[in-house]
Amino acid sequence: MSQLDTEKTPTEAASKTDTGLEVDRGGRASLLLYPVILLAILGALFAWLYTRDLSDTEMVTLTPGELWSMTLEHLYLTAIATVVVLVIAIPLGILLTRPPMRRFTTPVTALVNFGQAAPAVGLIVVFAFWMGFGPTAAIVALVVYAVLPVLRNTMAGLDAVDQSLVEAGRGMGMSAAAVLWRVELPLAVPLILAGVRTALVLVVGTATLGTFINAGGLGLLITSGVNLSLPRVLITGSVLVAVLALAVDWLGRVVEHIARPRGL
Amino acid sequence: MDYVTDRWQQILFASWQHFSLVVQCLLLATVIAVGLAMVSYRSERLSNLANSFTAIGLTIPSFAMIGLLIAPLGFGVLPAVVVVTFYAVLPILRNAVVGLNSVPGGVVESARGIGMSRMATFFRVELPMAWPVILTGMRVSAQMVMGIAAIAAFVLGPGLGGFIFSGLSRLGGANSLASVITGIVAVIVVATILDALLILLGRLTTSRGLRV
Amino acid sequence: MSESTTAPTEPGRITGVPILLDGVTKRYGSKSAPAVDHLTLEIPAGSTVMFVGPSGCGKTTTMKMINRLIEPTEGSIVIDGEDVTTMNGDDLRRRMGYVIQAGGLFPHMTVAANIGLVPKMLGWDKQRIAERVDELLELVSLDPDSYRDRYPKQLSGGQQQRVGVARALAADPPVLLMDEPFGAVDPITRQRLQDEMISIQNELRKTIVIVTHDIDEAVKLGDWVVVFDEGARIQQYDSPERILAEPANDFVSDFVGSGAGLKALGLTRVNEMPILDAVVVTPEDSPTTAVQKAEAAGHGHVVVLDRARRPIAWPSVAQLRRATALPTRYEPDLPIVGMGATLEDALDTMLVSRAGAALVVGPRGRFEGVVDIDTVMQSLRDNRGAADTGRSPVGTNDAEARIEVAPDTGEITLITPDQVGTGRGRYDDGAAEPSRSDADEGSDSTALPQTSGERP
Repeated sequence: MSQLDTEKTPTEAASKTDTGLEVDRGGRASLLLYPVILLAILGALFAWLYTRDLSDTEMVTLTPGELWSMTLEHLYLTAIATVVVLVIAIPLGILLTRPPMRRFTTPVTALVNFGQAAPAVGLIVVFAFWMGFGPTAAIVALVVYAVLPVLRNTMAGLDAVDQSLVEAGRGMGMSAAAVLWRVELPLAVPLILAGVRTALVLVVGTATLGTFINAGGLGLLITSGVNLSLPRVLITGSVLVAVLALAVDWLGRVVEHIARPRGL
Repeated sequence: MDYVTDRWQQILFASWQHFSLVVQCLLLATVIAVGLAMVSYRSERLSNLANSFTAIGLTIPSFAMIGLLIAPLGFGVLPAVVVVTFYAVLPILRNAVVGLNSVPGGVVESARGIGMSRMATFFRVELPMAWPVILTGMRVSAQMVMGIAAIAAFVLGPGLGGFIFSGLSRLGGANSLASVITGIVAVIVVATILDALLILLGRLTTSRGLRV
Repeated sequence: MSESTTAPTEPGRITGVPILLDGVTKRYGSKSAPAVDHLTLEIPAGSTVMFVGPSGCGKTTTMKMINRLIEPTEGSIVIDGEDVTTMNGDDLRRRMGYVIQAGGLFPHMTVAANIGLVPKMLGWDKQRIAERVDELLELVSLDPDSYRDRYPKQLSGGQQQRVGVARALAADPPVLLMDEPFGAVDPITRQRLQDEMISIQNELRKTIVIVTHDIDEAVKLGDWVVVFDEGARIQQYDSPERILAEPANDFVSDFVGSGAGLKALGLTRVNEMPILDAVVVTPEDSPTTAVQKAEAAGHGHVVVLDRARRPIAWPSVAQLRRATALPTRYEPDLPIVGMGATLEDALDTMLVSRAGAALVVGPRGRFEGVVDIDTVMQSLRDNRGAADTGRSPVGTNDAEARIEVAPDTGEITLITPDQVGTGRGRYDDGAAEPSRSDADEGSDSTALPQTSGERP
C-alpha cells in the first residue's frame, strides 16, 4: 500500500529515516503551518463544491451531515484497528526482545512480513468472506496489515538502547522489569511512536478500501463516485481521505514532538 | 486447486500483465526519481523539499489518488500507470537523495580534483556509489506498488487485481473465494519473484568494492 | 629534500613547473573578510612548498585555487607561464595531481581503475594504462600483482594513501597538490609515508604544494614553508631552517612552538656534515702498532675493523696500552650511526658513548669515519650562516604589489610601492629582520631572484 512509510527502508545509508528519527523534519514551524494548509484545502474544496449546481444524488451524498458521519465511521475504523494493533504489537515487540524469546524473533517477523506483502484489498475481501461483510472484517484485516511497522519499530527501538545503560541499571540493583520500564522503554519511545504514526497513516488509507465490504467510511464516496459517474463525489471523497491521512500524520508528529523524552 | 488448474493460462497472463505493469512503471519511476534527486541533492533546500514531497506522497492513500486521477484521465491503463509510477517514485527518490548525499565529500572532491567534469563525477562516481541505496529504494517501491497495482484494477487497469474484484462482485457465487485467494497469492508470488530479480540486479550492478 | 640537502642520491631532473599566484583574493560574500587576501606567491619549479597555519587560515582555500576547485574572486594563477585562471577547470585539473586525506579513493573501483582514471580520461590506450599502473604501484612500494585488483576497503589506511599518491601521479603531472595527505594515518605509518614521499620527490622533482597543520611535517618535507595567518596572510615564507632558527615574528615562533632548535637537528643528516678521519687497524695488528699509529695521528682512539671494514671495537690509547692483543669480538654497544641518520639521532648516540663521538657507517655497515659533538655544533652554526645567504621565493599580501616576469629567464620580480621590508614574503611587524639586512639583496631593490633551491 501507499502508506508504507519511512520505516520500510532497510537501507544502511538511509538509517536516519529508517529509524523514523526524521520526526523533527521541518521543525516546529512546519508543524504549526501544516494544519493551516490542510484547512485551506478543505475550505477550497467546499467553496468549489457549493458554488456548483449539484444533481439530486450529489445533494444527498454531499450534505455536511452525511460527510461528517462518514468521516466518523472512517475514524472509528481507524481508531479501533490502531488500538488493537498497539495492544498486540508493542507487548509482542517487548516480548520478542527479551533474551529467552529471541529464538522466536525470526519466525514471527517473517509471518508479520508476509501479512504485509499481501495486497491490502485482497486481505480485506478474504476476511469479509470469512467473517461476513461489515466493519469487523475490515478491522481485522487492517490489524493484520498494520501490525508490522509497530512491531518492527518497537523491536528496533529496544534493540537500539545502549546495552551499557541496561547493564548500568542492573548494576544499580534494578530488576529486569524496572530496567525495562525506567530505562529501555523511555529510550525507545521515539522509535515506537514513529512506528505508531506509520501504522495510523497505513490504517487511515487502507480503511478507504473498507467500502468494498460495506464497512463504511469515506471510501464509499470514491466507489459511488466511480460507479455512478459522479466526478464531484469522487473528487470530494478523494480529497477528504487525503486530508484525513495528512491530518492524522500531522497529529502523530505533534505527539512525537511532545512525548519525546527530554535529552534525546 | 481445480480453480487454479482450470484457469492456469488466464492466471499466468494476468500475472505477466501485473508484473510487466509494475516493472515498466518501476523503470520509469527510477529514471524520474534519479533525475529529481540529481536536480535536488546538492541543495539542502531542494533536498528537504524532495523529502517533504516523498513523505506527503506516501501519506496520501493510493485509493484516494486513484479517485483523483479518474476525473481527468478516465478509466483504463493510463490512470493505473500514473498512480503506480507516482508511488514507485517516492521511495526511490528518498533513497536516491539520501544515497547521493552520503557519498563522502572527499571522494567527490578528489573526483573533481583529478579533473572529472560535474557530469562525469555524477555518473561515474556519485551514482555508482549511491546505487545500492537506490536499489533498496527500488525494492521497497516494487513491493509497495504490487499492492497498489492490485487496487488499480478497480479502474479497469490490467493485472491480478481483477481476480480479487471479480471474486468480490460474484460474492457467494461459485469459486468467488478461490478467485480472491488466487489473486492474493499470485500477487505475493509475483512480488517475491521481482524482489529476487532486483536482488540479482543488485549483485550484478553493484561494484564489489562497495560490498567488501 | 630540504634546502640544505646536497642530496646523497642522484637527484632527478626537475619535472615540475613554476606556479605563481598573482594578487589572488577569495571572498565569500561581499561583506565578510576575505578568506584569502591579495596573496602573491611564487612556487618555484621542482620544489616542495608547505602551507602551514592554524585551521581557518585560508591555506586549503589557497591550495584549491591553484587547481581551481575554488575559483578566485580576484587575481590570476599562472602555471608555467600560462595564465590558467580562465581555462577549463576540468582540463586544468587533469594536468595536476591531487591528493587528499585518506586518499579520496573511489570505493567502487579497483586500485588499478582508480590509478588509471586520469590516463583513461586523457585517452591513453589500455596497454599503456596497465603498464603505468604497475609502474606507479612499484613507485609507491606496493606489489602490483597483489594490489592491482583490490578494492580500497581491502587496504590499510597507509596503503590507501599510497594509492592516492599513485593516482595523483598517474598522468605524470608537473604539479602535485596535497591536502593534509598524511593526516589520517597513525604516527609510524605517517613517518614512513613522509620518508617515501621524500625519496619519490628526490626522484621526480615535481612542484609539490602540501597543506598541513603539522609544523614538524612542514619542516621535514618542505623546501620552503609558508606560515599563514587568517586571510592567508603570509607571516613568513622561508626555508625550514630559517623558519626554525629565525621566526619572523611572535606568530611564527608561537606556531613553531618550543624546541625549535631540536627540530632543526632533525633537518640535517649525517652525510651532510664533514666526517672526520680515524685511525683504523685490523685485529691482526699488535696493540703496540695501534698505539704508535694513534700517537702519530694525535688521536686518542683507534677503530678496529674486520675484513669487510665493519667496526669491531673502538678502544682508547689507554686501553690499548694495557691490552695484549686487539679485540676480535664485536663490541655490542658501539656508538654507530648510519649515513642517513639525522643529527638528532647522531647526537643521541654520541651522548651515551664514552668518546663523545659516533662511528659513521655506510652501505653494508662499512666504516666511513667519525662524527663528534663539535662537528654537529659547527654544522648547526654553518646552517644558520647558510640560512642567511639563501633566497626565498616571492610572497606578499601587499595589494599594491606588482609582479614582473623577466621574459628570458622567467625570473620573478616584485615591485612594491613601499620598497623597504615588504618584498620578501615576510610579514614584518615593524621590526627589521635580524638576520637579513636589505643590503644583502641590493639596498634599493626588492627584486628577488627566483630561487634556485640550492645553497650557494
